[in-house]
Amino acid sequence: MVVEYIGQALVNLADPFILLLMVGGIFLGILMGSIPGMTATMTIAVLLSFTFTMEPSQGMILLLGIYGGAVYAGSIPAILIRTPGTPSAAATIFDGHPLSQKGEAGRAIRVSTIASFVGGVISVFALMFFSPVIADAALRFRSPEFFALAFFGLTIIASVSGDSLTKGMVSGLLGMLVATVGIDPVTGFHRFTFDIPELLTGVEFIAVMIGLFGIAEGLRKYSQGINSGNDRVDQEITGVFPSLSDLRSIAPVSVGSGILGSFIGAIPGAGGDIAAFITYNEATRWLKDSVPSFGEGNVRGVAAAESGNNASTGGALIPTLTLGIPGDSVSAILIGALLVHDVNPGPGLYQEEPVLLYTIFVGFLLIYVFILIFGMLGANYWARLINIPKSHIWPVILVLCVIGAIALRGNVFDAWIMLGAGVLGYAMRLRGYPLAPMVLGLILAPIAEENLRRSLVLSGGSPTIFLTSPIALVIILLGLGAIALPAVRSIRANA
Amino acid sequence: MVIQRVGAVLDRIGLESVRSSPLSVFFILFSAVVIFFASQFPSSDGVGPSFFPIAVSLGIIFFAGIDVLTGSETELEISEFDFKPAAVVAGVLVAYVLVMPLLGFLVSTMVFMPVVLYYSNIHSKLLLAVLSIGFPIALFYIFGRIFLVRLPEGIIPVSRLLPQLPLVVTF
Repeated sequence: MVVEYIGQALVNLADPFILLLMVGGIFLGILMGSIPGMTATMTIAVLLSFTFTMEPSQGMILLLGIYGGAVYAGSIPAILIRTPGTPSAAATIFDGHPLSQKGEAGRAIRVSTIASFVGGVISVFALMFFSPVIADAALRFRSPEFFALAFFGLTIIASVSGDSLTKGMVSGLLGMLVATVGIDPVTGFHRFTFDIPELLTGVEFIAVMIGLFGIAEGLRKYSQGINSGNDRVDQEITGVFPSLSDLRSIAPVSVGSGILGSFIGAIPGAGGDIAAFITYNEATRWLKDSVPSFGEGNVRGVAAAESGNNASTGGALIPTLTLGIPGDSVSAILIGALLVHDVNPGPGLYQEEPVLLYTIFVGFLLIYVFILIFGMLGANYWARLINIPKSHIWPVILVLCVIGAIALRGNVFDAWIMLGAGVLGYAMRLRGYPLAPMVLGLILAPIAEENLRRSLVLSGGSPTIFLTSPIALVIILLGLGAIALPAVRSIRANA
Repeated sequence: MVIQRVGAVLDRIGLESVRSSPLSVFFILFSAVVIFFASQFPSSDGVGPSFFPIAVSLGIIFFAGIDVLTGSETELEISEFDFKPAAVVAGVLVAYVLVMPLLGFLVSTMVFMPVVLYYSNIHSKLLLAVLSIGFPIALFYIFGRIFLVRLPEGIIPVSRLLPQLPLVVTF
């Protein structure tokens, strides 16, 4: 059966148009990832509107190409100018930039390309192997277990998404509150619609996402000075392939970091940045006698961080596709992309859309093969992308945000929602509120509310239903632990 | 009586902590308004439509309250930011969306782009022309003609003057 699905996926992927989308997505991802401040999340949110009229598989391949390309390319400015292109490349600076200072930027980028490929491929295999198992187990889940999962998703996301637990929780809860606008799913009552017809179906959460990640980031950039941080790269990147000794040196650490990064990526809320820091830290612990030392230009440090952050991309798709619980903010947007096409991520997806799933799996694998090829051949050109002034890009992004919101329903009302979300997101960023929990709250709230209410109907109003289901109980306890642990840590730190 | 009690609580919290967390205070007040509206929803058997919004709002009040009481160390260094450019760009964006139903997507984007580009210190006439005229037309063709998105045409539908695509592209 699986072989049959893979065969159909390969037929889908052989379509020249889908290949064009894949390559185009990778190029766009590399372009935006190479420019500091242009995150994968922002790029995908802004360009999501291009997928609305595509087939789900075409849209997902384009977005995954951007995702993989941006996470990979984030390492290029991290190595060359000590500024990560995307947050997930922050750990690459530690050894990547010292290599660049020694005049070995090309070597660092080549190692980063190989490690990104290894980490990405491992994570796609983890996705292919673990997703069916988890989805199969989750098919037995009923309302209490799904409520518990949504609760767990919200708590763990808030606990890992920023420096402040309280701000993360407020952000997540605000997202949940926004999700209550519209027709009540159980009674049909109009909640907070104020006789505005556009609000009957609720607030378009993609418009909110575009506002939070596009407009808010743009306003922040204008606040900081639109031309600030415009670094120039003049270093020539020569050569194509890494040396055999470098390959030998980075092979074990790339594989180890790929496996670890895939698991970390699968934890809801733990994105590429956390994965890269943990895999880098583990590499320094296991290989402490490495020469040169970590932090002084060790290629293994670059490999650990880059394999770890790219591995988180496939890992993040595991809970996204099997449970409908986003692994990070990018996968939250990918859920939005699927919902636009009436494809509901969750355990039922394996039975309803197996060919789409395997097209995503095989396509993501192919994306990493292309990233390897483009990364090797084009390193010198990608490095030049850093020189593009941000002042040329932001006005274009702002217009793409507006048209992206309008394209949702052909309605200017959604552009207002998007602008409102953007201004709120800007204010929240300035006050240290993380934005990712808000998006995840938006996605998880309907799952949480519907299943909470359904559970209570099943139990005749008794909340003990969550205690009698062992799975739900364990998941809820894990969620409570996810809030309690950082709180205890914070109290201890302040004591 | 109630006002005195609120005053006493505020004294205890300290006006400084309220001032230092204006957004948290705003979220608390906003949640209180939500609770007011939600409490007027009709009740039903079991958990009604008001339960979730009220529970979530109480959660916001709780966590934002902790934030106000404990103060925050995670705020960005606001003094590093100049709010004026962000306010100008936000204002231009609002004007852009506001006039779009009147002027249509194409014309309003052609007006918006040079304003923002100029404000972003782009003074090259060629670049201004390409991004202000070429980019909106390209977007119009991609979204309006290929993706068949219903873009606002405005009172005078200038976009209809643009030629049709020579090829029909469908997905």
